[in-house]
Amino acid sequence: MRLSTLGFIASEAVQNVRRNPVMAMASITTAAISLLILGVFLLVSVNLNLWTHTVEGQVEVEAFFRPHTPARAEAAAVSAVRRWRGVQAVSFVSRAQVLRSMRREYGSVLTALGNHNPLLDEMNVKVYRPRDVRAAVLRLRRMPAAAHVTYQSRVVERLFQLGSLVRMGGIVFAALLALGALLVIHNAIRVAIFARRREVAIMRLVGATDGLVRGPFLLEGTLLGLAGALVAVIVVGVGYHWAMTVVQRSLPFLPLAPIERVVPDLLEVLGLGVVIGYIGSRLSLRGLMRG
Amino acid sequence: MIEFLGVSKVYPGPVEALRNVTFRIDKGEFVFLVGPSGAGKSTILRLIHREERPSQGMILVNHHPLNKLRRRQVPFLRRQVGMIFQDFRLLPDRTVYDNVAFSLRVQEASPREIRRRVPETLDLVGLGHKAQVFPQHLSGGEQQRVALARALVGRPPILVADEPTGNLDPETAAEVVRILLEVNRRGTTLLMATHAKALVDSVRRRVIALDHGVVVRDDAVGAYDVEA
Repeated sequence: MRLSTLGFIASEAVQNVRRNPVMAMASITTAAISLLILGVFLLVSVNLNLWTHTVEGQVEVEAFFRPHTPARAEAAAVSAVRRWRGVQAVSFVSRAQVLRSMRREYGSVLTALGNHNPLLDEMNVKVYRPRDVRAAVLRLRRMPAAAHVTYQSRVVERLFQLGSLVRMGGIVFAALLALGALLVIHNAIRVAIFARRREVAIMRLVGATDGLVRGPFLLEGTLLGLAGALVAVIVVGVGYHWAMTVVQRSLPFLPLAPIERVVPDLLEVLGLGVVIGYIGSRLSLRGLMRG
Repeated sequence: MIEFLGVSKVYPGPVEALRNVTFRIDKGEFVFLVGPSGAGKSTILRLIHREERPSQGMILVNHHPLNKLRRRQVPFLRRQVGMIFQDFRLLPDRTVYDNVAFSLRVQEASPREIRRRVPETLDLVGLGHKAQVFPQHLSGGEQQRVALARALVGRPPILVADEPTGNLDPETAAEVVRILLEVNRRGTTLLMATHAKALVDSVRRRVIALDHGVVVRDDAVGAYDVEA
């Protein structure tokens, strides 16, 4: 295809938008709203993931030895775990040490125990990377000397659950809105085709290929979707930057994903806008090509 | 150049528009297609332009059988067959120049070709000086000449005209026919459906007469009505 033909398609598409500014605005606004909501959900999901990983990274895995495990076996287990890949540090805490620290903390509450110590010896395992936590937990559970292995699993799992809930909810909600945007763009292109039925007839009359007849409408729909997505991405991006500043000032301990980390998600939103616009206009053209 | 071999066309209803029509138009001919309304003149033109398909028979344009033409080849056939209508079908929001250039843009001509051919063709139809005027500011005859320029600018070897003088006064109609004769003199094969008896009688070219979808007369040098 010649460059001048692409120019022709582009100029026809732009003329279409100019002739129907109200319809174009409606399409762009609907696409922008749906993609904005999707963008917000995506960013919340990215940050929930980040928090999950941060919490996971902070947790120490605690492995309790079985009662009456010989001290030599415990020491062997500790040094074996130290050699595991991904393990940063292992510390052994005897049940006597635990009881002493508990007594310091809770005082008289524990006097009823007398000299009896119901606690177990334990080792605290720290890993380098958050993703190694689960592997370490599984390996520790398989050790014969280990009676019980625990980590702050509930917090991590709840964050995980919340993350996927937000992501799923966001996707479903945004998909419904995206469908709405798609239908509005579909309608805008149908209106454009109706408004330009004379040109279309003349184009066919003088030998325009199907591609050339379709081109301006496809481009128009795609541009409307892209424009809506651009508005959404700009609003979400600027809003996120503002939120980061506010959060960093008032809740400095709360980690937030840096802007460069959310760029791929924003690009996805942009791509989705293009897809919505393209499909919306493509659907409108089915009848035109049959006619 | 154009050949109809036993062509019939039945529209849903059923309405029989053409019945077993056979004729052949050679390169460079100027042919009038005459007959009362509903005789099938427009159907023949629409079949040549592949806006309709025959129910039966074969049509050849430039030796290509239209029956075998694929959908995606139709635009290329239409670039070989220019068409004009009684109602001009111009784009009101574009100038005369842009209306004519639109045809070349659609045919993916280069900008240089467009700049060269549009003024040339406008000069041929005598509208070089009105290139920047919008169609609504032109007379009927001038609008038809713009439509003619649009049909000719791609240099199609065949031109079909469906009642091109139907909306024009006799003087303006004569002017349009004069241009059509000039176009034909330069080598374009011309098929013109018309009711304009005076024009057909004065030009004295080949006449194919239709009645109720049947070719009733084909005179090499004919008149609108049967001559005694």
